[in-house]
Amino acid sequence: MTKYEAVNWNSPEADYTEMLWTQNTSQFWLDTEIPVSKDLKSWTELSSGEKDTFMKVLGGLTLLDTEQGNVGMPLIAQHVEGKQKKAILIFQAAMEEIHAKSYSTIFTTVASSELIGDTFGWVRSNKFLQYKTHRIDSYYRSIEQGNLLSLYQAMVASVFLESFLFYSGFFYPLYLAGQGKMVASGEIIKLIIRDESVHGVFVGLLAQEVFQQLSREEQDFAEKFVNELLMDLYKNELEYTEELYDPIGLTHEVKKYIRYNANKALMNLGIEPVFEEEEINPVVLNGIRTETSTHDFFSTKGKGYQKGTVEPLREEDFSFLNERVKQSSIW
Amino acid sequence: MVQKEGKFQFHKDLEAARSYFVEYVNQNTVFFHDLKEKIDYLIENDYYEAELFAKYEFTDIKKLYEALYARKFRFPSFMSAFKFYNNYAMKTNDGLKFLERYEDRIAVTALFLGDGDINKANDYADVLISQEYQPATPTFLNAGKKRRGELVSCFLLEIDDSMNSIGFAINSALQLSKIGGGVSLNLSKIRAASEQIKGLDGKASGVLPVMKLFEDSFSYANQLGQRDGSGVVYLNLFHADIHEFLDTKKINSDEKIRIKTLSLGVVAPNKFFELVEQDKDMYLFYPHTVHQEYGVHLDDMDLTAMYDELVNNPRVRKKKIVARDLIIKIAQTQMESGYPYIMYVDNTNEQHALKNIGRVKFSNLCSEIAQLSEVSTINDYGQEDVINRDISCNLGSLNIVNVMKNNRMRETVHLAMDALTEVSDRTELEIVPSVAKANRELHSVGLGAMNLHGYLALNHISYESKEAIDFARTFFMMLNYYSLERSMMIARERKVTFKDFEQSEYANGAYFKRYEENDYSPRTDKVKALFAEFHIPTREDWSRLKEETMEHGLYHAYRLAIAPTGSISYLQSSTASIAPITQRIEEREYGDSKTIYPMPFLNENNFFFYKEAYDMDMYNLIDLVAEVQVHIDQAISTILYVKDNLTTRDLAKYYIYAQKKGLKTLYYTRTRKRTIEECISCVV
Repeated sequence: MTKYEAVNWNSPEADYTEMLWTQNTSQFWLDTEIPVSKDLKSWTELSSGEKDTFMKVLGGLTLLDTEQGNVGMPLIAQHVEGKQKKAILIFQAAMEEIHAKSYSTIFTTVASSELIGDTFGWVRSNKFLQYKTHRIDSYYRSIEQGNLLSLYQAMVASVFLESFLFYSGFFYPLYLAGQGKMVASGEIIKLIIRDESVHGVFVGLLAQEVFQQLSREEQDFAEKFVNELLMDLYKNELEYTEELYDPIGLTHEVKKYIRYNANKALMNLGIEPVFEEEEINPVVLNGIRTETSTHDFFSTKGKGYQKGTVEPLREEDFSFLNERVKQSSIW
Repeated sequence: MVQKEGKFQFHKDLEAARSYFVEYVNQNTVFFHDLKEKIDYLIENDYYEAELFAKYEFTDIKKLYEALYARKFRFPSFMSAFKFYNNYAMKTNDGLKFLERYEDRIAVTALFLGDGDINKANDYADVLISQEYQPATPTFLNAGKKRRGELVSCFLLEIDDSMNSIGFAINSALQLSKIGGGVSLNLSKIRAASEQIKGLDGKASGVLPVMKLFEDSFSYANQLGQRDGSGVVYLNLFHADIHEFLDTKKINSDEKIRIKTLSLGVVAPNKFFELVEQDKDMYLFYPHTVHQEYGVHLDDMDLTAMYDELVNNPRVRKKKIVARDLIIKIAQTQMESGYPYIMYVDNTNEQHALKNIGRVKFSNLCSEIAQLSEVSTINDYGQEDVINRDISCNLGSLNIVNVMKNNRMRETVHLAMDALTEVSDRTELEIVPSVAKANRELHSVGLGAMNLHGYLALNHISYESKEAIDFARTFFMMLNYYSLERSMMIARERKVTFKDFEQSEYANGAYFKRYEENDYSPRTDKVKALFAEFHIPTREDWSRLKEETMEHGLYHAYRLAIAPTGSISYLQSSTASIAPITQRIEEREYGDSKTIYPMPFLNENNFFFYKEAYDMDMYNLIDLVAEVQVHIDQAISTILYVKDNLTTRDLAKYYIYAQKKGLKTLYYTRTRKRTIEECISCVV
């Protein structure tokens, strides 16, 4: 009979699992924490073209997060060795579901039911969006037990999704928030980016570990695969971008941003960047730095708060403090 | 501002400012042939108040404008220019074109404050364009406009333990939000959950539903959709609902009880810290039973003195908790939400110069206000209410760099006090009678300062050094001296003091003891050199001021308060308040905009002196604030900056240290997450 084993966090699987688990759980958040209703006024002031792009961009993101939460993360988790790693992946899958739901929270708050319905219809019919989801999905579903190469391919697909394909969508809410428009929605996007950046790093690390276990021939194959998949998705992404951003004249900016993030995705996989370094729109670039930005309590929630680590006071703390009070009276 | 060849491109910021003017501001400004045409147009079209200009000769007005434009003021950074044109400059009714430049806004503010005295108006114009003094946003934004909001924007209201009073407070909060005010509410008198109503046990719902009512009220009153009202609620730590109060900010609390947009503050008596240090149990009290027993509200008492009495009185309902658990809970809530603010109520009342007149019980939305208040009794229709004093405060700040540069600190502080007095005198908020009464009787103002870190960096002094403390000690002593002096002069001139002056510590001279006994002039050579050209008030000067104050009185019950200075520090291209910078090159979200901002005067030479707050030792920060607090009769908005590897224990130690060092309040705590690259780089 099979012996079942419990996950044992007392003996680390890798030197980073505990740290990544803590990082992931400490940045847990819910869409309902952000007062999206503050964006109502801003929404009414957007032009119809801007509204259209905004809805489509979020619709596209919803699809990708749904795929990642329902299919990608669970399937990779199933095939990864190590119960702690699985735990982290499942937690990340849960966050993907929160991301997918949070777009709906924005929709429900600002848009009419008809507009929301149209957006989901558009998601079903847009060929570029369907293509990239299909392409990624096919690698998730082809993982074979014991076939490390297939697992590596799925992980690469996952990193591309998390670190690369999301960003054509993230661009617009960040761009708007940078100009003081739809700021609360921008906060949500930034919280999502904060998560995705960790997800990309983690799956990237796992992929690198799997790569090391491949045979020389498999490694050669894998390298070619990465490059081909990247270029195929990149080409599709350019067309997707043109369709979304041509009407509001931002296509050029977004394309630079896509290349920038493609490089980041490659770096997560431990691979040298392929695209030339370019100057990214600074407003948007700020949105992807995941430190705390200065914010004011009159306005947005800010992405700087998180679950705290609890530790009790100790007796020696008071002697330290009393001594410090004495020492600090320098005059 | 990205680095190029390892160097920051500081000139890029200036280029951005210039191109903002050439490409945007200049092209979107309404053109007038001359000043006369402009002012006439703006008056005729209901932009400016006609009465304001009628008080002056036109030739005088013209000279004032010319003098301002002759100064050739240029915004030194994109951020300062953008802030002004985006938030302050008057625009056409459709919001598309600018009607004012910076000089115009200053001219109108100066004329408004001068109230018909052209010499005075010229003085104000001078101190404003020199950027030595900056009125708070509500004053600078609204002065002289025909259609305008209020000039004062900070209010604090008491709430009695009755339905009438809660209703009245909601109405007041709505009215004050409507005119753009931030409102603070003291909930400590409200009976706790499950207390008696009309003698029936277990009927009361406690403070939580009241918080919900206020949260919704503030989002309803949103100034024509411009900005939601903002409010804070304070609760005493010994109130029986304190746990539920803090839980409203927990990340995964139930939607019914979660408070999203209302800010929280706790009022912490020293008894709490005593119990924490001794690791004792702590009793929470049910305020209704306290009031029934003593005829005094829980927070109107000195709880530190009354604690044992309440514990031993069987008729006071109570529940037992562990004091250290509560301080850890506060720390945890702060890490998760930034809240609550903390008011050290006993420190505040010990230093309170009006301690024989009334008690300070809570603070405001930015935790720099500390004034007495008394709860009103709101009766049913047909019965006269008993209206007592609530709190309002109008604020302004000195720019330390320019005050030190121009070496006329006495004149500048006097003018600043006059400007604040003018606003207080001309504010009549009859819509909230308790606030109007306090303003009439106490004439409170709050003068503060900003650009401390900027000044220190400019002079190559590090923020955490002995020299920084040395400078702050002398500077804020002088600020205190000159503000007292001016308040005395106004009282002498008008023969009016604030109400009950004779019962204050100013009248019996006790307030001045510290200054007669200690010498606050600089001790270190470096700081001595900075003040070399200044006359620093001596102990003899202080004795003389004491005599004069005792003879003539003071006009203002409260004079000084150090605000966090958000927008106005950008206008002045200065670092905020007396706080350290958070980023050498800052990315800032404020309400409706987001911008990039290099710290003032930042260059390769002083880069090192602009240490970021998150890299500082917070004990050093508290030491500096404590040194300043000695000279400030109200409070100082103090933010703690921590990295995310700190635990609740570290935070609790800061709270305890701040209490021991005599701070009056702590504003929120800001956490900086390490970025994922930082984390990963330690392990992979």
